Amino acid sequence: MNILIMVIFFALSAFTLAAGVMVVTVKNIIHAALWLIASFFTVAALYLLMEAEFLAIVQVLVYVGAISILVLFAIMLTRHVTGEGVRQLYQRWWIALIVVAALFGVLMVPTVLNYEWSTVPPAAAGQPAPISSSVEIGTAFMREYLLPFEIASILLLVALVGAIVIAFEERASRRRVLTLAEEVDLRRRRGEPLAGVSNAAASDTQATKGAQAVKS
Amino acid sequence: MNDFLQNAFGPSWIISVITFLVNTTLILIVAPVTFMMMTWFERRIVARMQDRLGPNRVGPAGLLQAVADGVKMFTKENITPRAADKWVHLIAPIIATAPVIFLFAVIPWGYGLSPVDINVSVLFVVAISSISAVGLMMGGWGSNNKFALLGAMRAVAQMVSYEIPAVIALLSMVLFTGTMNLNLYSGLQGGIPILGATLNDVIPDLGLGWYIFTPVGLVGFAVFFICVLSEGERTPFDIPEADSEIVAGYMTEYSGMKFAVFYMGQFLFNYALSMVAAIIFLGGWNFPGIPQLISIAPPLGALISAFVLGAKAWFLFFVMIWLRGAFPRLRMDQLMAFAWKFLLPLALINILSAALWLTVMKWGSDPKWTVTIAPFGLSLLGWLEGAPIWVRQLIGWALAAVINGWSFYWILQVNRRPADETPAELAQDQAFGAASLP
Repeated sequence: MNILIMVIFFALSAFTLAAGVMVVTVKNIIHAALWLIASFFTVAALYLLMEAEFLAIVQVLVYVGAISILVLFAIMLTRHVTGEGVRQLYQRWWIALIVVAALFGVLMVPTVLNYEWSTVPPAAAGQPAPISSSVEIGTAFMREYLLPFEIASILLLVALVGAIVIAFEERASRRRVLTLAEEVDLRRRRGEPLAGVSNAAASDTQATKGAQAVKS
Repeated sequence: MNDFLQNAFGPSWIISVITFLVNTTLILIVAPVTFMMMTWFERRIVARMQDRLGPNRVGPAGLLQAVADGVKMFTKENITPRAADKWVHLIAPIIATAPVIFLFAVIPWGYGLSPVDINVSVLFVVAISSISAVGLMMGGWGSNNKFALLGAMRAVAQMVSYEIPAVIALLSMVLFTGTMNLNLYSGLQGGIPILGATLNDVIPDLGLGWYIFTPVGLVGFAVFFICVLSEGERTPFDIPEADSEIVAGYMTEYSGMKFAVFYMGQFLFNYALSMVAAIIFLGGWNFPGIPQLISIAPPLGALISAFVLGAKAWFLFFVMIWLRGAFPRLRMDQLMAFAWKFLLPLALINILSAALWLTVMKWGSDPKWTVTIAPFGLSLLGWLEGAPIWVRQLIGWALAAVINGWSFYWILQVNRRPADETPAELAQDQAFGAASLP
């Protein structure tokens, strides 16, 4: 069983790393986003390999199901970059590489040197036991980690309210676009010929003028 | 099966691989066959509703029509547009369909029949089904076609919006039952309607204590089923592939087997979510006689229970076809308003009444559930502590019914009121008299 798990683990981690490298090197930005999704998904598979089912599924739900879709939507709505070959690497990319490698080293080297591998650390007295299942995670959120949990909730609530406020501001200054039926009815009422109904641009400017006149 | 294989073969990992291969093969055979039956069923039923005959030439009653269609799909030319992104275009149908097949791994087929038994299968269903949106988006973008891109945008916006009420509707039942394991839901829904399994010592287990007979379950089922219709792009919500507006949406540039794979993903998604709805709200494999049969002869009971669960899922699929025959397509803004202004508040209130129901059921039964809040030693729910469980069930049922009924009526009233118009819109209406238009 161990050999099988090792093989699967190395295959998955190799794929995660390869996908991560592809994210920063591909020229097409949509391809980069798709590689990012692949990398997220393999990380979830790694969690599943560690028997952390809940964490794996939440990883899929949050990263693949929500964040990636948001990223794809954002890219597709900004038409400027869609599908164009944008070079992601600048000429001095090696400086960035050195900085990142140094930071990673600062973080990892002491950990690797000081950590005793292949042993599961037992829970210290008075400390919460290792968390795995959804019940334990829920209990931990409501007991030991109540403050961080509440702070995160309030932060999210503020973000939600902020998004609504921004959306409402935009809506307050928006003019309703008449439907075709309304336009036809309007013309008929004014006794205008119906032939030019499709000329939406002309009626559009008229509508703006009318709205401005009423406002002033 | 594991024990038998342990004796026959060597190391344990080979056995794991073999068992999973058997399970996977079963799923991969059953899923396409179900899909073929579904296409035939849908065409026949819709034809009957429209006073036609439908496919009736190939095989008895046209049953082999799906095989003929499959042959046609295989022999069709596989076209990739020259401007399309070749790889994305190729992979998109796979990414859209693979998650749906994943779903069948955790959904129990009957009593004790589940390919993979994980503890968080409800969450798994929700999480995995959201992946296929990525596939739709890839298909729409990779085709390099404006209709396809528009269809993909519509599809994903719709899926994302309707996922939220669906999850919250499921959450109300997860809250009440305290489990996210789909295997356990059927066992909790025995007994008789309304009272559930609370009187099982007096009345024989009829297997009818389905959650749909409780107010929380009824609202949850209604919200969830509507969201299933929308996520599976069934007719009142088939905006992403509105043929009269955007050809076929994200499937416009697909032909042959690639199109068939997309199509299969959609149908199986409907079937899988019908199964989930049947398990969580319609009592799973419960039916009068099934609990007794399972206790007398477990293998036979398991077999019959699989048929019962399948029948419920097929009935829900029939309702989907029925709606297709009955309703016209919604408009995009109606679709969004319905999700955000009606379903979401209703589902949220449903969670509140589920919590209240749970409190009434559990109060005083456990030290965890007994808290004295009032300052004078008065407990608000203290009188519940001696009440038998069926009385609690009745009280909780009535409370939830009042709350859910009132909130349904209230949200409906709020939504019927015309939306407040913005100052700019009002000015425009005054200038043109458009406000008096219907």
